[in-house]
Amino acid sequence: MKILPRNTLLERNTLLERNTLLERNTLLERNTLLERNTLLERNTLLERNTLLERNTLLEVRDLEVSFQGMETVTVLSGISFSIKESETLALVGETGCGKSVVAHAIMNLLPPESRVKGNIEFRGKSLSEMNEKEMAKIRGREIAIIFQNPSLALNPVYSIGHQLVEPLCVHQKEKKKTALYRVALALKRMGFVNFSECMNYYPSWCSGGMNQRFLIAASTILNPALLIADEPSKGLDKKCITELEAELKNLKMESKSALLLISHDLDFVRRLADRIAVMYAGEIVELANSSSLFENPLHPYTRGLLNSLPEKGFIPIPGFSPPLNSLPSGCRFHPRCPLREKRCIRVHPEIKETGEKAVRCFLYP
Amino acid sequence: MSEIARKVTRYFTSLVLIIIINFILPRLMPGDPVKNLIGEDAYVSEEVMEELRAELGLNLPFSEQFISYTSNLLHFDLGYSYHLHAPVAEILLNKMSWTLIFVGVSVVIGTLLGCFLGALAGWKPERKASHFTSFTFVVLSCIPPYFLALLTLYIFSFKLGLFPSKGFYDTPEIGSVLHHLFLPVCVMSVFSASRNFLVMRGSVIQEKEQLYALYARAKGLYNTDILFRHIIKNASLPIITLLALDFGFLFSGALFIEIIFSLNGMGVMIYNAIMGKDYPLLQGAFLVIAFTALLANMFADLLYILIDPRVRGGSMDESV
Amino acid sequence: MNQFDCTDNSCMKEAGIEGFSEKKSEGSNFEFPEETSYWIFQKHKGFQGLFNRIGVFLFILFVLMALFPSVFAPYAPEERFIPYEAPSEEHLLGTNDIGNDILSELAFGARISMTVGFMAALISTLIGTALGLCAGYFRGALDELLMGFTDVVLVIPKIPLIIVMGAFLRPSIWILISILGLLSWESTARVTRSKTLQLRGAGYVKSAQCMGFSSYHIMKSDIFPNIIHILFPKFMLATASAMISEASLSFLGLGDLSMKSWGMMLSFAFSQGGFIRDMWWWYMPPGICITLCVLSIALIGFGLEAKEGEHFKEGANTL
Repeated sequence: MKILPRNTLLERNTLLERNTLLERNTLLERNTLLERNTLLERNTLLERNTLLERNTLLEVRDLEVSFQGMETVTVLSGISFSIKESETLALVGETGCGKSVVAHAIMNLLPPESRVKGNIEFRGKSLSEMNEKEMAKIRGREIAIIFQNPSLALNPVYSIGHQLVEPLCVHQKEKKKTALYRVALALKRMGFVNFSECMNYYPSWCSGGMNQRFLIAASTILNPALLIADEPSKGLDKKCITELEAELKNLKMESKSALLLISHDLDFVRRLADRIAVMYAGEIVELANSSSLFENPLHPYTRGLLNSLPEKGFIPIPGFSPPLNSLPSGCRFHPRCPLREKRCIRVHPEIKETGEKAVRCFLYP
Repeated sequence: MSEIARKVTRYFTSLVLIIIINFILPRLMPGDPVKNLIGEDAYVSEEVMEELRAELGLNLPFSEQFISYTSNLLHFDLGYSYHLHAPVAEILLNKMSWTLIFVGVSVVIGTLLGCFLGALAGWKPERKASHFTSFTFVVLSCIPPYFLALLTLYIFSFKLGLFPSKGFYDTPEIGSVLHHLFLPVCVMSVFSASRNFLVMRGSVIQEKEQLYALYARAKGLYNTDILFRHIIKNASLPIITLLALDFGFLFSGALFIEIIFSLNGMGVMIYNAIMGKDYPLLQGAFLVIAFTALLANMFADLLYILIDPRVRGGSMDESV
Repeated sequence: MNQFDCTDNSCMKEAGIEGFSEKKSEGSNFEFPEETSYWIFQKHKGFQGLFNRIGVFLFILFVLMALFPSVFAPYAPEERFIPYEAPSEEHLLGTNDIGNDILSELAFGARISMTVGFMAALISTLIGTALGLCAGYFRGALDELLMGFTDVVLVIPKIPLIIVMGAFLRPSIWILISILGLLSWESTARVTRSKTLQLRGAGYVKSAQCMGFSSYHIMKSDIFPNIIHILFPKFMLATASAMISEASLSFLGLGDLSMKSWGMMLSFAFSQGGFIRDMWWWYMPPGICITLCVLSIALIGFGLEAKEGEHFKEGANTL
């Protein structure tokens, strides 16, 4: 808007046909002015960003994944969400609703018989269009994942040290000696007192909790911008979960990486996540801030989930979640929904955004 | 600990079983045990037969015979070949070295070749090249080893005249030995590779579905890096067991190849022993081969312990 | 001996399935094992299908040859003509040292070679299945004992033992069959055991136990039908391996002189100067026949095993 008067000035100048020297002067003047102007604008933009929103790191739009076999099963459909820098987004849902598939789709790790539609953008680059070689450069360095079964994710025949050194050697071409030193430091940071001894251990000698920490160390050693934790609390006891929580919090504080947390444990998620997406039968049914989701759940499924928590009365949702190869018509939750209407049975609701929240239900226009 | 005790008992039982088989065979088989012990075609008169019967202790009860038999074994006395007029142990020692060199070299080459090609074929089984190698090795594994040897001998020695057709050497020099051994070693390597190939391929196909392989990919490893840095070590574990269990089979395959190429090792010796019904020599050969197979299995178990930490187990204290 | 033996590999695979089945049973949907058909003809796509079809075609051809040799053979195998004759219109594959027509010999040899292979495989499969079933079903001390015995036998090198035994006994086809059969059951026993171990934990076996059926009945009607699909490829591969062993032993002159198998023909061709005289029509056909016949049986066996693999894979890929 502010450019306009200067433009008219320039026009007038040219119209009056001053001598070339003068002209050049005005041109110069205009340039510097313009520059300063854009700089100012950018500054205010940046300021507003840090205040209100951070840069979007990962953007997933209309993700649809299907597995082709004897029959084609669509496992995920219409998944859209975004993660901003150093933000924690949690995906919660029952076992088998496709949470892990989301994680594998982002990493491009799905088996060859899968078909992926939709767009996954990481720092503005589309991951789904990348070939395997480009993707390999991003995996581990930019986006890292912690698998849900740490004892199986580590190779049983190599020592822990060998496996932790690998990301450094592959991505940063580091010498084995210096890499080992860095690994030792990382293990020390993870709270291992006997870190140099640990490097000679093998996964089968260690407990699940220890392997979990080794896995976290391996995945975070390169400070990835986005860390995906796939059911990290699965199969661990209470003590280990508390420790894990502390470690993940530490990690966020120290390395400022964003976290995509996948879990079925609502309590665990509540303590870590900034925003939560609730998934049901391959769809996101509700996405909201952590606090508002727990205080004011909108979708009937979310309400049901919260009611089934021990402190809220332990009331289970009636029925079972449907198998992905025979989904019900209309809203996928309608057979179990206490508030269903006629249209719920026929029409499939779209996800609607209202302010900070998004919900997939006819009750919320 | 109990696992080790179990292994030791099993090996010990195997050893005892081998010795018992060797002891019982000539005594239980139809025919005169003296004939069975000295060899059918060795000509001896009646008196000498009776003398031998007494000397070999065949009139004594079985238990005493067995004790004297085992004590003989402990003194490396495997009997006397009446055909070749020499102690069996001496003959065997003489022939065995060449055969062991021949088998050793070929099995090492064959295993490396088979594992490498098998791993590649298992990594991308849908590729044309993988189909080709798989089919080739299936066909090779279906050819009796001596027929394969016969074919190569015919083509490369008789038709093309590239290699000599018999013996270990003309003059005992390294060049001559290599020239003579090239074809047999090739055939034997292919034979041994065909056995490893299929197992390695299956093993890699199975191992690449494991979570650690996916995690290796998630760490940023690219394509065959995952295969060579991670999967191949896990996948080759069954190969160790296979090699050990295969020892007898590979060894006998080598015997046939030796016979075809007229290499003067154990193969030809056994062939002649069968033809001449030289039982002491045959038994001695079996004993030695069985004992070597036993050692190979023990060695494989030790190797397994070295390579696979899951078997080794570790003492560790979880300190935070 | 165990030419196509992948014992440990398959054991590991079984162990994998064991672990997985536990995981699967969490999901409360109780599945009754499906009935599978065991027909050798597999509907594979691409190369595998082609291999399978080649295998089945060759196999049928050889079975026909074994059943009706007179259709393929122009003369009786004992009939004598002029020896050492090159292939001609009268004798398509020439004659051997004593003047027998080689094509006729070849056709009649099919029956002997295949009988040895199938009978030996049958014996070894029966022993292996029985031992494996008992070890896997009763577990405990019996399992320890039987599997210990299996391990002990596994270490003993088979072909050298057969050579020694064959040298002592008067060579006969039945002795050959029984020796080959009695010495090659270990891998079948191992696979059967691990599969039985896995099946005995399944719901329908447990419910049969609860209903008070006898162990023999459960093994016969609940477990055995569910391991046939593993045994059948094992049987085919055992046949292939027994045929190669037979050919090898015959080559050493340990075969039955009255029954000329392909291995014997090859042996005679080598020892009676067929090779030195460059008579390819004498030694090539039996060798090629052995190879093709073993190949066809092995291809069928592998095809069936691959099908098993697919079953396994289908299960493992449910994310």
